[in-house]
Amino acid sequence: MDYLIDLTKALFIFNVVMGFMFILTWMERKQSALMQDRIGANRADIFGLRLLGLFHPIADAIKMLTKEDFIPPSGNRLLHTLAPMMALFFALISFAVIPFGGIYQLGEYTISLQLLDINVGILYVFATMSMGIYGFVLAGWSSGNNYSLLGGLRASSQMISYEITMGATIIGLLMIYGTLSLQEMNQAQGELLWGWIPQWGIILQPLGFVLFATAVMAETKRVPFDIPEGESEIIGYFVEYSGMKFGMFYSTDFVETVLAAALIATLFFGGWQVPFLYSDMQLDHLGKEGPPGFHFPGDTVISLSEVSVMALQVGAFLVKVFFFLFIMMLIRWTLPRFRWDQLMRLGWTIMLPLSIANILVTGLLILWIES
Amino acid sequence: MPIITVNGQEVHVEPQFTVIQAAEKLGIYVPRYCYHPGLSIAGSCRMCLVEIENMFKLAISCYTRVRDGMTVTTDSKRVTQARKAMLEFLLINHPLDCPVCDQSGECDLQNYYMEIGQYDSRFLENKIKRKKAFPVGPHVVLDQERCILCTRCTRFCEEVSRSHELGVFNRGNRSVIDLHPAKTLDNPYSGNVIDICPVGALTEREFRFKCRVWYLSTRDSICSGCARGCNISIHYNESRPYKAGGRRAQRLKPRFNPLVNQWWMCDEGRFGYEFIDKNRIEQPYLRAIAELELSEWDKVIDEVSTALKSAWQKFGPNSIGVIASPQLSNEELYLIQKLFAELMGIEQIGYRNPWEKGGFQDDFLIRADKNPNSRGAEEIGLSGDVRTILEKAACGEIKILYIFQHNFDSEEARKMLEQAEYIVFQGTNWNKTADFANVILPGATYAEKDGTFTNFEGRVQRFQQAFLPLSEAKADSEILTVLAEKLEYPLVYLTAEDIFMEWYGKPYEGLEEFGEMISQKKHQWTI
Amino acid sequence: MAIKKVQRKFGFWERTYIPEVLKGLRLTARHLFRNLFIHMAHQFGLAKHLRGGETYQYPDERRPLFARLRTLHRLTRREDGSPRCVACMMCETVCPADCIYIVGGEHPNPQIEKYPVRFDIDLGLCVFCGYCVEACPEDAIRMDTGILEFSSYSREGMIYDLEKLLSYSRRQETGDRSQESGVRRQETGVRSHREVLNVKPET
Repeated sequence: MDYLIDLTKALFIFNVVMGFMFILTWMERKQSALMQDRIGANRADIFGLRLLGLFHPIADAIKMLTKEDFIPPSGNRLLHTLAPMMALFFALISFAVIPFGGIYQLGEYTISLQLLDINVGILYVFATMSMGIYGFVLAGWSSGNNYSLLGGLRASSQMISYEITMGATIIGLLMIYGTLSLQEMNQAQGELLWGWIPQWGIILQPLGFVLFATAVMAETKRVPFDIPEGESEIIGYFVEYSGMKFGMFYSTDFVETVLAAALIATLFFGGWQVPFLYSDMQLDHLGKEGPPGFHFPGDTVISLSEVSVMALQVGAFLVKVFFFLFIMMLIRWTLPRFRWDQLMRLGWTIMLPLSIANILVTGLLILWIES
Repeated sequence: MPIITVNGQEVHVEPQFTVIQAAEKLGIYVPRYCYHPGLSIAGSCRMCLVEIENMFKLAISCYTRVRDGMTVTTDSKRVTQARKAMLEFLLINHPLDCPVCDQSGECDLQNYYMEIGQYDSRFLENKIKRKKAFPVGPHVVLDQERCILCTRCTRFCEEVSRSHELGVFNRGNRSVIDLHPAKTLDNPYSGNVIDICPVGALTEREFRFKCRVWYLSTRDSICSGCARGCNISIHYNESRPYKAGGRRAQRLKPRFNPLVNQWWMCDEGRFGYEFIDKNRIEQPYLRAIAELELSEWDKVIDEVSTALKSAWQKFGPNSIGVIASPQLSNEELYLIQKLFAELMGIEQIGYRNPWEKGGFQDDFLIRADKNPNSRGAEEIGLSGDVRTILEKAACGEIKILYIFQHNFDSEEARKMLEQAEYIVFQGTNWNKTADFANVILPGATYAEKDGTFTNFEGRVQRFQQAFLPLSEAKADSEILTVLAEKLEYPLVYLTAEDIFMEWYGKPYEGLEEFGEMISQKKHQWTI
Repeated sequence: MAIKKVQRKFGFWERTYIPEVLKGLRLTARHLFRNLFIHMAHQFGLAKHLRGGETYQYPDERRPLFARLRTLHRLTRREDGSPRCVACMMCETVCPADCIYIVGGEHPNPQIEKYPVRFDIDLGLCVFCGYCVEACPEDAIRMDTGILEFSSYSREGMIYDLEKLLSYSRRQETGDRSQESGVRRQETGVRSHREVLNVKPET
């Protein structure tokens, strides 16, 4: 039974992520078009039905699957094939530790809506993201093309630069919540500050949020941080890719965007938390009495069944992820690309010192409050 | 000699000079229509009015003799005003035909009007209609509406050709140029009226609507029509090959040479440019069994050189006969003489076609000898008898006959050619001789190469290359140098001028402006 | 030429980028939501007079042509239907692309005298400068057919001959199209580059 539950959860996560990715390819075109007073993709139709271009991702998939898979003669056949798989694989498995819902008591089963609750949770995410770089570097190197090699190098140095900031930013949160497990962190964000403000990451770590959001966007390698691609200059590590292997890099991009949005939501916006909405387990955790449902400050209680609380919370998580996807898309189509030196200066001389200062201030505040 | 001042510049001139000639001597151009240096003075167009000090009215410079101390102004405001008024008069009845007129682009009415015209017409009445384009002779079309009655053409017919075809009829504004009754403008110099007509009244029938004159390029040349060697310009169009069916040479115009042809040339020469683009041999041919077949330069040169070599080695130099052509330039004839006579020791070299009867001849320009360079061939020493050479070829004494250009179309010659063992023909156009040839080498016409002709008086005159030889044809001197190299007689000349230097001891630049009488200091043979 | 260098001073918040980035996001988001709203309304058949984008959906929807736009050439005719062209070759001479090929011929009527035996325009070479129209003394060539779509699978197909050029006529739409498109722009509230640069449209 446990296996069945785990399988269901895995399928759910996979489908949601792929679904988001699918919609993102459409959204990227349509949203950018609307922002720029254009129409956007609207030609693909099934039996004359166009649905605002929603069929374009399907057409894309068909196109990519039927296109020639070309491996450059000067390239390394094995690594060239392996690289996109690695990139996509590591991007996908990161989702294993993202909690998309809390812990619920359904009949005799206690279900935690997270595939894998490991005590190093957030570190696991960082580890998989770092592994993903191998995909890009290998793609760059194995293509036997100087431009793609340059793209791969840029990708790795950019990732390394911004991973440090990302790691340093997270420390603030770890100090506050005292845990690495993302599920526990989310649980903690349900607590209330001064009795009425939900204790979300954004409230406790506003600077941390700005830094983390910037760094995680840099990790996705999308505009304004798309220096590894740089369509107008080097095209990037996937310049020698075609067909579905290019499609995998393309999807990796979007999967990473979904991951970034999910991470921001989980760490700073309470993940699946809906303010004042608690399940049975959570009430126990907080040491509160009463039925599952809304517990507003001032002892107003709207009781709901455990299942509807679960549905609301999962829904809240998805809405939050979608919201951040939208914001990231907005940023991607608003800002121009950084120059290489600007990117490095931003990473090393502004964001890294700021994130370290953030740790110090957080530490001092914690000390001050505890004393 | 009187000294006169024109526009502030002083000049010494002969006492019989007119003011317009004095101005010309200073390089000052006075607009004119009726005045032509080769014709009598009419003084009817009033375009050449100039201001002369101490004279009450403006005077026509074409008719006013110079006097010592005369002071002339050709560009004062008064003069310009008078010319402007004259142009306005001329344009009263002149149709605005310029878009369809062949003269536009080289029309004096257009040119002067662009300079000093009265652009806003003040003429309210209707223009007088006259007879539009109709042929007056085999080469000339007359448009009476465009005529400005300068009478250059009538004076030409009276004074130069003395054939009296054209005259002015009616009076006042109904005056027209027309043919005298029962006459057609068919004298042998009729084409010249086209050149001297300052407007589009007389135009060329052959050139009519073929090409606009501003598409034409021009190159100085010498007419190849007869032994006179009239100086001409070749007007050709290469940039727009769809005009006139791809013909390159569009027309020939006489070029002033006081010692040979003055301003004129005959119709036979003027319209004798067709062979440059028509019926040309464009590629080398080789006879395989019975039929002539297309070949390549390398192959035919190999073929000719092996044939010449083997005949020379087996039967000695007298087994080869060469018939050069008076159509070739001095340079090419010199090369023939050098290669075949001096280096190979061949004795049978001739040039004169014994069946060629003399053509029409008059006491003005046209000569009976229709070859441009017979005198040149004579001077270079190609004096063998062609009939003997052909006879020897017919009886097998001569194994190889190398014929340049000649068209042997007489019955007698044909029989001899039929019997000849091996004929090499080098020429520009298909003819009777080519039919019997074993090898055909395509040569270049005079418009396609540099060189000199020596006219019947012995005047050496230079002609210039206007365009490249058609298709795969080559200049004859080039063919001969390549052949000489194959025969292991290296004759290295880069240009025709190099050959001329060797023969005549001068570069082309060293020749006098109007050609010079052939010098006795030219190359002496050691044969 | 005097050059004045203006050094812009950035304040603290400008240097952090954050408010400026937010301003930018506001601008793009405004366009996004406005257009999103219009598109959704169109789905329900509402607000059809508003446009959700500057794009012309080309084959379905054509751009209005301005009155003086230079389009495919045509040759005009005399009253009796024969070409007005007299093969004066002015257009051929003035053509900077050398794409007009005319061969003249003798017309039986001496009042007309000359007519084009061949009149070809190689549209593959044409640069649509309109000089031929300017140069023509007979108003025989015009570029007012309103035809912009001409293509061919071969270079030869791009050469239009006398007959083809004579077969076209002046474009049917009349009236000042420039005004029309101006109205459309005002309605949509999207400013054209003319309005942005404060340039008055030519009248």
